[in-house]
Amino acid sequence: MAATDSTTIFVSQILHDTEKTYAIQQLVARQDPTTFALLNAINSKKLYLLNDQAVTTGEKIPSSNGAASYEIYSLYPKNELLVNRNGQPLHTSIDALTVVEINRADRLLLNGILPILELFSTEPAKRMLAYGQLKNSHAPHRIEMLQMALARETNPDALRAGKDILFAIQLNTTTDAQTAKNYIDSLAENWGDNAPVFLSEYAKSNRVNAAYAAQKALELEHRYDYLQKIQNLFSGLSLGSILILIALGLSIVYGLAGIINMAHGEFLMIGAYTTYCIQTLFTEVLKLPYSDLLFIISLPLSFLVAGLLGLLLERLVVRHLYARPLESLLATWGVSLILIQTARSLFGDLTAVKTPAFLSGGLAVSPHLVLPYNRIFIIGLTALIVLLTYLMLYKTRLGLQIRSVTQNRNMSACLGIDTKRVAALTFFFGSGLAGIAGCAMTLIGNVVPDMGQTYIVDSFLVVVTGGVGKIVGTIVSGLGIGFFTKILEAFFQAVYGKVCILLFIMLFMQYKPKGLFPYKGRLAEE
Amino acid sequence: MGWVSINTISLWGRYFCFAIAALGIDLIWGYTGILSMCQAFFFCLGSYGIAMHMLLKTSGSALPEFMVWNKVESLPFFWVPFQSFGLTLILCLLIPALLAFIIGYVLFRSRIKGVYMAIITQALALAMWLLFLRNETGLGGTNGLTDFKTLMGLSLSTTYMKLGLYLMSLLLLCVAYFACYRITHSKFGKVLQAIRDSESRVSFTAYKVMDYKLAVFVVAALLAAVGGMLYAPQTGIITPGRMDVKASVEMVMWVALGGRGKLKGAVAGALLVNFLYSICTSLFPDSWLYILGFLFVITVLFFDKGFVGLVDSLFKRKEVTCY
Repeated sequence: MAATDSTTIFVSQILHDTEKTYAIQQLVARQDPTTFALLNAINSKKLYLLNDQAVTTGEKIPSSNGAASYEIYSLYPKNELLVNRNGQPLHTSIDALTVVEINRADRLLLNGILPILELFSTEPAKRMLAYGQLKNSHAPHRIEMLQMALARETNPDALRAGKDILFAIQLNTTTDAQTAKNYIDSLAENWGDNAPVFLSEYAKSNRVNAAYAAQKALELEHRYDYLQKIQNLFSGLSLGSILILIALGLSIVYGLAGIINMAHGEFLMIGAYTTYCIQTLFTEVLKLPYSDLLFIISLPLSFLVAGLLGLLLERLVVRHLYARPLESLLATWGVSLILIQTARSLFGDLTAVKTPAFLSGGLAVSPHLVLPYNRIFIIGLTALIVLLTYLMLYKTRLGLQIRSVTQNRNMSACLGIDTKRVAALTFFFGSGLAGIAGCAMTLIGNVVPDMGQTYIVDSFLVVVTGGVGKIVGTIVSGLGIGFFTKILEAFFQAVYGKVCILLFIMLFMQYKPKGLFPYKGRLAEE
Repeated sequence: MGWVSINTISLWGRYFCFAIAALGIDLIWGYTGILSMCQAFFFCLGSYGIAMHMLLKTSGSALPEFMVWNKVESLPFFWVPFQSFGLTLILCLLIPALLAFIIGYVLFRSRIKGVYMAIITQALALAMWLLFLRNETGLGGTNGLTDFKTLMGLSLSTTYMKLGLYLMSLLLLCVAYFACYRITHSKFGKVLQAIRDSESRVSFTAYKVMDYKLAVFVVAALLAAVGGMLYAPQTGIITPGRMDVKASVEMVMWVALGGRGKLKGAVAGALLVNFLYSICTSLFPDSWLYILGFLFVITVLFFDKGFVGLVDSLFKRKEVTCY
């Protein structure tokens, strides 16, 4: 107990005396794990006093009133998260803590045991780095230290990384065949990021069970490739659903009115800026706290704003251009230039929208396969919108009128359908869909004035490949192009993948010049 | 140079290059009704070809500088023929023509036309632009090709060379204009216009529509390439920015603004828009896109026949009032 007592004395000296050099030297020399948390706090300049107790700050907790507060960890004799009376983690602002000043020369004393200190850092990322560094270090008690650190580890990623190293060290020091096999199995089971590397390194050495390690390494790589493929497919699905979201409106408008709307991408941009404006309006102008609700209300509002602007465009420009697709292409291109420049003068070059909390992070199917929630959300949103569009087109009166005008404008007019009204409503609907797409796009990228241009050519390709004015065609070709792009990207670089897609589409059009699902019938071409 | 500065002359020399390319667009879009959105790509093929030659001549036996930066050790194989001027001229015309032939063959064979044609050529322009942006394609990446100093042993920076290039552009513009004039007034040209007005009927009367379309697509690509070849020595730089999607649409717009289906219109449109561009960008730099956008919309909506058509109709109205 004497040793512990003198350690306590040294700790107290560090906390309260002005002369700390000797105490720190003593603690460094002792390498007592109970003091590591304290020493580490000294090293990262985060040693504080709270109610005469040594503490350090953990994760920052954003709070509503602006001043950030932190989680608080006690350091000595126990290193644990402090809780308040209700058992909830204690959150304190930094002002409530008293800083313990340690001068630089004293801090430098810690350098010798830094690799081990970091094992007890409060930040998981630092701990993971520290584990990794142990692999090639020659610290005398590294295995014991690592085991001790892992016993306290709470973060699952860090735990896996630490075990990875632990098993690798143990594997490399053992000579017994059965023990080696056990460690190899443990490595494979734990499947840390470096496990395949460790295993194949071991396989190359002429040690016991090297062949077994090689086999396991190969197995892991196969499993990893397999997961990578799933990840690729998921990216393809996500890209495909974005393309569908954009192309859906485009396809309906083109099918109905023979309008190539080059400004369609700009309605996407408008939807994104609507989201941005709503967020700015509430958090900065009205000074209300940010809430995830803002994003939810942005979705319908983006639809409305983009749709209404689309209606305006239809009234001013597009209605003069019905059934003159090439001219409409040029005129709407002009409109898109104006819209982009307007956005640039209003909002500047780059803005971003905050991703709602419930959409950050991802669904960890396995440690090596994480599906981001925002992508899942976009896929779900697309499915919902496709369903709504389907219901609108096939179950409502307006949908019936839209389909009839798409098939034969003159005949529909003869039967008493107000084709101009239908066309205007369709344009409203199509632009609104682009607006929703824009709102969704804020989840995965910045909001920039020319964001619409990135996807517009691709979504036109989707329309052309799928067959104009067909929901099914848009879905199939959107998913197809999305999947193909991501699969090709896995083999080539993105650019060559794109060229391949284009060549493929050109070849495809040799056989199906009217797309996947052309309108059947004997319509004359002119 | 007395009353005009040499820079102004050089600027107009460049406009003439654009006008040559615009003539090609008028042939294919104005007369035949095929909206090709990748003409800027053919333009740049010409430019890149001649720029490669000039760059090789400037750097002499050493590698061009950008390759040294990109750690390219030996000259890529497709740069080698560009060391000779004669071969360069041939390749600058042959490559665009061949590409246009292949693309045209594939597209026209499956009777892709109208909007589909526009969209696919646009996607093609996008893909090629992305390809040229890459460093590993060996064409200078985003920075393009620049820093060339001589052409046929003559320094590009002298006044006489600039004047010479200007006159050359003017001469070739005239040649191209009369060639196009002859084409449009020949039987071939009449068939082209017939295809524009009613493609099915032309094919019903046993004309091979595809051959005509293919021929005019290649001619248009050639004209664009010629314009590009004269353009690079006069600007001293060629970047992929000249061939992006926007560039091709703008080229089509010159013709629309000038008056499609009239050769005069194509030339007038190219010169007018570019002249306006240099004025506007120096006077009010932020507003150019607004002006261009409004011009697009207004021309398409109200001046279907373009600038030349507007002037014509003004004169016609005068005649009417005279009666």
